[in-house]
Amino acid sequence: MQWMALFRKEITEYWRNKKWIWVPLVFILLAIIDPVSNYYLPQILESVGGLPDGTVIELPDFAPAEVVMMSLGQLSSLGVLVITLMSMATIAGERRSGVSELILVKPVAYRNYITAKWAALLALVWASLLIGMLASWYYINILYGELSLHSILLVIIFYGFWLTLVVSVSIFYNTLFKTPGIVAFLTIATIILMSIVTQIFSHVLVWSPNNLTMYLMEMVQTGSISSDLVWTAIVTIIISIGLLIAAIIALKKKELAN
Amino acid sequence: MTLLTVNKLSKSYDGKNVVKDVSFEFHNGKCIALIGPNGAGKTTILRTLAGLLKPSAGTIQFSNMKEKDDIRKYIGYLPQYPVFYTWMTGMEFMIYSGRLSYLSEAEAKKRAETLLEKVGIIDAKDRKIGKYSGGMKQRLGIAQAIIHKPKLLMLDEPVSSLDPIGRREVLTLMKELKEEMTILFSTHILSDAEEVSDELLLLNKGEIVESGSMVELRKKYQTSIIKLEFQGDLAKYQEPINALASVANSSIERDVLQVSVSDIAEARQEILTYVLKEGCPLTSFTLDRASLEDMFMKVVTG
Amino acid sequence: MQEIIETINWAIVTPILIIQAILIIVALIDLTKAESTNGPKWMWFFIILLVNTIGPIIYFIFGRSRD
Repeated sequence: MQWMALFRKEITEYWRNKKWIWVPLVFILLAIIDPVSNYYLPQILESVGGLPDGTVIELPDFAPAEVVMMSLGQLSSLGVLVITLMSMATIAGERRSGVSELILVKPVAYRNYITAKWAALLALVWASLLIGMLASWYYINILYGELSLHSILLVIIFYGFWLTLVVSVSIFYNTLFKTPGIVAFLTIATIILMSIVTQIFSHVLVWSPNNLTMYLMEMVQTGSISSDLVWTAIVTIIISIGLLIAAIIALKKKELAN
Repeated sequence: MTLLTVNKLSKSYDGKNVVKDVSFEFHNGKCIALIGPNGAGKTTILRTLAGLLKPSAGTIQFSNMKEKDDIRKYIGYLPQYPVFYTWMTGMEFMIYSGRLSYLSEAEAKKRAETLLEKVGIIDAKDRKIGKYSGGMKQRLGIAQAIIHKPKLLMLDEPVSSLDPIGRREVLTLMKELKEEMTILFSTHILSDAEEVSDELLLLNKGEIVESGSMVELRKKYQTSIIKLEFQGDLAKYQEPINALASVANSSIERDVLQVSVSDIAEARQEILTYVLKEGCPLTSFTLDRASLEDMFMKVVTG
Repeated sequence: MQEIIETINWAIVTPILIIQAILIIVALIDLTKAESTNGPKWMWFFIILLVNTIGPIIYFIFGRSRD
């Protein structure tokens, strides 16, 4: 099957360029940095010194739900940056270097080419998210109190839709531009713009993908999945698929050489 | 049998016509050279035929192709500077190419072995492409282009970046391959075209200025030249000889008077008669034929 | 009490140290095997070793030459 050949090539490439090693490790570090550093913050402040004697450092005791949100916060900023940077050349780079001139003169269906790349990126991102958040969960249970495996898995699944959207935005720009830097810039810019628009029109855009983490927090705190969360997830998936279709159409219309 | 018909193909970028109203036909089993100076539009034509570029106007029609069929199934294409995934081995790239062309894993593997053997890099099949030399990459490029047994193989300047040995090897390979498929290749070097091709398409500034079979063209552009050498000053003989009825024109190059003539027998008669009558100190009389190279230069420089 | 704190500390710190070590080692192996990098190899060598944690990551993203 042509699709499998394309998909397997991507997965193999991720092995050869070590993405299967470093991306999950980076996600682990991002997910655990806040749980660990917040736990040690009093000691860190003390050892740094400079505070008048007798100062009592009082930090709020964080609930597990809040700590999960800290992990997601890191993934939403630096994690998204990492996804953007490691995906910025997946199509753009091939067109820029000229490999695509060899690949796309073969009878390759454009939808296969794009969806295989999308799926391979998602495999990597979802695996990294899973392993990163399980690491966070490990620390939360040691340092902050119990959080059920059930709720952390729900967090991973719903948050995964958000990262799926990030990957889809990147794929979309990958088909429009040949310069990886521009792809990365526009991907980040789009996500920032979306969040600004969501804030300005918060009363209308209730199910904006940017609200996903907010509803996730509610879910962890209350233990129940709100309909807003489900709808936001559905909207996020629909936008992702829409971007993917747009990418396929764009690549079909593109001239693949100069 | 006609393989491919190109009708009034044009391609422009930003209002600039790179290819203008180009029409031609290919027949099965021929080797066609697309020849012209750099910037004539050769690469653009090849890329358009390969489907990498979309024509601004005109049509490309393969014979026996169904309405919605993918043209790319029938062609193999090697760009001038092929870029590979350097992290793959030669074998991996071949199998990947085969799988993309709808071969099964087993078929692709078998065919890859055969072709790597044929192009002579079977010993390097498990080496990373990043470690291949230029000539090896070119040969891998040809092998990957024919993995799906295309009807038309297109090669963009296949030998121009190679050293003399690599060039020889690739030309020999092309001679073998043209027994199995139609080959269209571009070049700016006439001797390469003369060596392997049956037909020529001469391109200049985006237009076809001349085309035909090698034999036809040779005949058409064969002008005869008589080279004369005299003792003493040549110049004084040029004018009277020019005046002879069968002489088209003449020029002096070094110590030789080169006379182009339309009818060789008649010219010989006239020139020798003149020489005898005037008692000129003729020291050498040579018949020569203009090569295709002269024609190429003449057509291209206008 | 003292003992308990010590064991917990190890459970916390060891994974982080291991991850950092793996990142550095994998990056260095990749660097020595790489035919070419964006920028001089010795520069990447120092970035990987000396820039804490993000050194190897910067190398993987920007140092490896593509295709």
